[in-house]
Amino acid sequence: MTFLHLVRLIIFRNLRREWFLTVLSVVGVALGIGLFIGVKVASDRAVSSFESDIRGMNTAMNFEIVDSSGIDFPESAYRTVLDMVDNCLPVLRAVGHMQAANETITIEGIYTARLMSLIRPVSRQPYDLERFLREPDGVMISKQLAEALSLKKGEKVTALVYDREYSLSIVDVIDEPSLPAKIVLMDIGNFQDYFQKTGYLSRIDLDADAVTAQSVMAALPPHLALVSKEQSLQDRKALLKSFRYNLQFVSLIAILVGLFLLYNTVFLSVIKRRTEIGILRGLGVHRMTIVLLFLSHGLLIGALGSVAGVVFGQVAASFSALAVERTISTIYSPIAISGTLITVKDILLAFGLGIAVSLGASALPAYEASKVRPSETSREGSFEGRYLKYVGLLAAAGLASITFGVIISWYDYNAMPFDFPFLAYAGILCMIAGFGLASPFFLSNVLRLIRLPAEKTFAATGQIAINDMQGNVYRFSVALMSVAVSCALIIALLTLIFSFRGSLRSWIRQNINADVYVKPSSCSSNFCFFPLSPELVELVSGFEEVDAVDRFRTLHIDFFGKKVVAGFGDMQLQKRYRGGHQELAPEEAGQDKSVGISSYLGFRHSLKIGDTVDIRTPRGSEQFVVRDVFSSYSTTAGFIYLDRQWLKEFWSLDDATQVALYLREGSDISRFIGRLKEAVRGRYAVDVMNNDELRKRVLSIFDKTFAITYAIEAISIAVSLIGVVNTLLTFVLERKREISVIRYLGGSWQQITRVLVLSAGVVGIGGIVLGSFMGLAMSVIFITVINKISFGWEIQFRIPYLYLSGVTAVLFLTTLLSGLIPARVARRVDPKRFISFE
Amino acid sequence: MIRLEKVDKFYGQAHILKDITLGIGKGEFVSITGSSGSGKSTLLNLIGGMDRPDKGRIIVDEDAISSFTDEDLTLYRRRKIGFIFQFFNLLPNITVFENIRMPLLLNSTDDKDRVSSFIRRVGLQGKEGSFPFELSGGQQQRVAIARALVHDPEIILADEPTGSLDSQTGEEIMELIKELSSESRKTVVLVTHEAYLSRFADRTLKIRDGVILS
Repeated sequence: MTFLHLVRLIIFRNLRREWFLTVLSVVGVALGIGLFIGVKVASDRAVSSFESDIRGMNTAMNFEIVDSSGIDFPESAYRTVLDMVDNCLPVLRAVGHMQAANETITIEGIYTARLMSLIRPVSRQPYDLERFLREPDGVMISKQLAEALSLKKGEKVTALVYDREYSLSIVDVIDEPSLPAKIVLMDIGNFQDYFQKTGYLSRIDLDADAVTAQSVMAALPPHLALVSKEQSLQDRKALLKSFRYNLQFVSLIAILVGLFLLYNTVFLSVIKRRTEIGILRGLGVHRMTIVLLFLSHGLLIGALGSVAGVVFGQVAASFSALAVERTISTIYSPIAISGTLITVKDILLAFGLGIAVSLGASALPAYEASKVRPSETSREGSFEGRYLKYVGLLAAAGLASITFGVIISWYDYNAMPFDFPFLAYAGILCMIAGFGLASPFFLSNVLRLIRLPAEKTFAATGQIAINDMQGNVYRFSVALMSVAVSCALIIALLTLIFSFRGSLRSWIRQNINADVYVKPSSCSSNFCFFPLSPELVELVSGFEEVDAVDRFRTLHIDFFGKKVVAGFGDMQLQKRYRGGHQELAPEEAGQDKSVGISSYLGFRHSLKIGDTVDIRTPRGSEQFVVRDVFSSYSTTAGFIYLDRQWLKEFWSLDDATQVALYLREGSDISRFIGRLKEAVRGRYAVDVMNNDELRKRVLSIFDKTFAITYAIEAISIAVSLIGVVNTLLTFVLERKREISVIRYLGGSWQQITRVLVLSAGVVGIGGIVLGSFMGLAMSVIFITVINKISFGWEIQFRIPYLYLSGVTAVLFLTTLLSGLIPARVARRVDPKRFISFE
Repeated sequence: MIRLEKVDKFYGQAHILKDITLGIGKGEFVSITGSSGSGKSTLLNLIGGMDRPDKGRIIVDEDAISSFTDEDLTLYRRRKIGFIFQFFNLLPNITVFENIRMPLLLNSTDDKDRVSSFIRRVGLQGKEGSFPFELSGGQQQRVAIARALVHDPEIILADEPTGSLDSQTGEEIMELIKELSSESRKTVVLVTHEAYLSRFADRTLKIRDGVILS
């Protein structure tokens, strides 16, 4: 009971009395946890979307048969499988886009008779099977989709599917939790007729044991692969892994800043309460009780922060989901994320994080509290004085930590012991910790440097500000680190984005050279995998302005045991239009069996120009010579490029998923595009872009994929500013007597405000200087190590000096202005109360 | 020099000072004695411009400070007043030298020689670089005295300056205050509940329940 009494008297009362500080600390913790949870929920739902996508309607099936190139295949294979396995179902699948609602949907053609018994309609009435089978455009949609778009049974909607616009009649709404969220079902026969896919399937789902599966695989033609659903899911998850972990790590830094904030709060509470601690110790309270008291302080704020973090996390999840959906759809394949409600597991994780952060942040201050001696309590100013002698030692430890961080990052870059840059991230954390340990030393020296100029410029206020900071160097260095971490994050992320953008621009200049580009409107990814109608390609090619047509085709192929994107184009045509119309040697023209690979694949598999690689084709394994290693930013799965002739020879395909048009010299491109759009209107749904438009679109997609990092930056800045306000506010609350003395000596409120703003300014400048070093180091690691191991993108390091100057100036000004909040609190101090002792 | 005319002061419902009228001449050393809660410190705060009376006027050197704005009162304290407190109230994070120098800096002047001279006058040579927590109570009060005088104020207001000190140290402090203030004809108002300190004063006033007794 005594301990609870103490908690109530010392901790609760303090939290209530200093409610603004408490709120600040809770908000700081909440922002960090909320962001982390929000990002996690969004990426978890992305994986769930993949999972329900892979399971599709046939949730009981454990295997699937697909074409190894990812294209639709002849349905004759189904007969083969049915002869061997009773429980198998054919599926046709397409991705559609509902323009009006800006919604991506999955349309599955299903074996109606077998599946309808497994689902129930929302209406609880027997579904209209006859209408579903009879109407060629009849579909059933999921309940989630219906609710999201306010659709009802009997309505008609339009969607872009493949390269056309189609009308769909909603026959019924399905209520089945295991269904993918945004699914639209059609009878497979109707699907084949309506979408002109007669004779084709996208996959065959089956339920079989391992032995039967082996037999089935042996009976299938070589271009078909039998894969376990679980394996497909693991492969997709592996693709996402780097993206998810990187995003999660960046959001972890926001928690780190919150941790600084909480440490600051508890540490300052210890300093303020040292008289009470001394008295308690004098009354016989154990050291451990003191430790537990201050751990309780941290835990309380952590618990409140977790609750608020869950609420904020829910909001963050909705926004993160949009950003994550966009990024994954662009770089990997279209997904539809829904159901961003936080689960019980996520809530427990939030609380776990909150508790871990609280305990981590309050452990050291709690330990320090237990060591307070009664004799210290009456001598103001002596508390930190005792620890000043450790500043040098801490700096040395900090330097060692920074060095260690650099070494393990360098090791990760060279040895790559893991698939994911764990060591590089650990290196960043070591560096942040190292800078943290060295920050008191840094601040002491900054203060020493600016003491004279500050006193000359600001006289009394300068002297008070500098000396107060020097006397409380540890607490002010915590605030400084809040700013530094924020600044470092800004610099690192902006440098990454700027460098990436610069490299992307160079890539665009080199590779986007055609005059006009045509792709299906339903395709939102960088690569489309379903072919344009041959009639459309013929129509487009038939215009008199067209000098040459590069018909581009993408497939998924196996490369060193993993799925990569393969692009097939006219190499000779491209090089002619890029480098002039001279004749090219066969190897330059791609006439030999040569392949270009992305630098990611070159890096992963230690491949260079001249090496030979095996590529699995429907006609068996073929050897190709690596003629080019290039940068590719369109996918993180790896990209290879071959001449079109091999598409025909080894894949028996001659279609195109996108076309690039080179117009005759002197052609009016805008007029041509106008005529082309007119010619396809009402017949095909395609995007027609000129060179400039495509370049802008590529950059715009890039900007949108980084939207979430801007959000993370903004939140980290907010948390660090809260840290500065927190420090200064606690300083004001603890220094009421000192402020009162200054007032008695004739100091004005303006002068007191200047002290606080000056302190904030020094913290700001110090934080920005330290943060710049940290940010530079972090950006080098992000670009050269983390990016390379995670995504394999080649990025030329470029520092956006002008942009960074502007952003850091804003950060500095905001830090400076944050000194005004404590100044307002200082104004409410009644000096008479703190000086009179009657 | 200092005139209080029918001054009343309330804190909430409590009537702390009742119809106070008194005058203090230039260079005069006046002690005001009374028990705890009698209104001594309130009187000091009013003279020092830290508060305003609810009724009546306070005139210092023909200026009615009771109608000064907050800004005017700040300047008044900065230039004309030197405070000495019971618990010293030194700024903890600056040295002895810097504490004494503070009033000069607040007045936008700086005279390091003057500061050094006061350090010697109060017997703290060699302690210029020490921090308050490194000093004894008596030493801290000597710093406070030097700080109260360094900017050459006209009025010294001392609120129980020996309250935290032993009797011998207290005597030494009082001797110092008397000596330094009379050197430059400062007007001193000393507030204390210890009657024996009145012997340092030219005149003693007693206050009880907010009323000045004759």
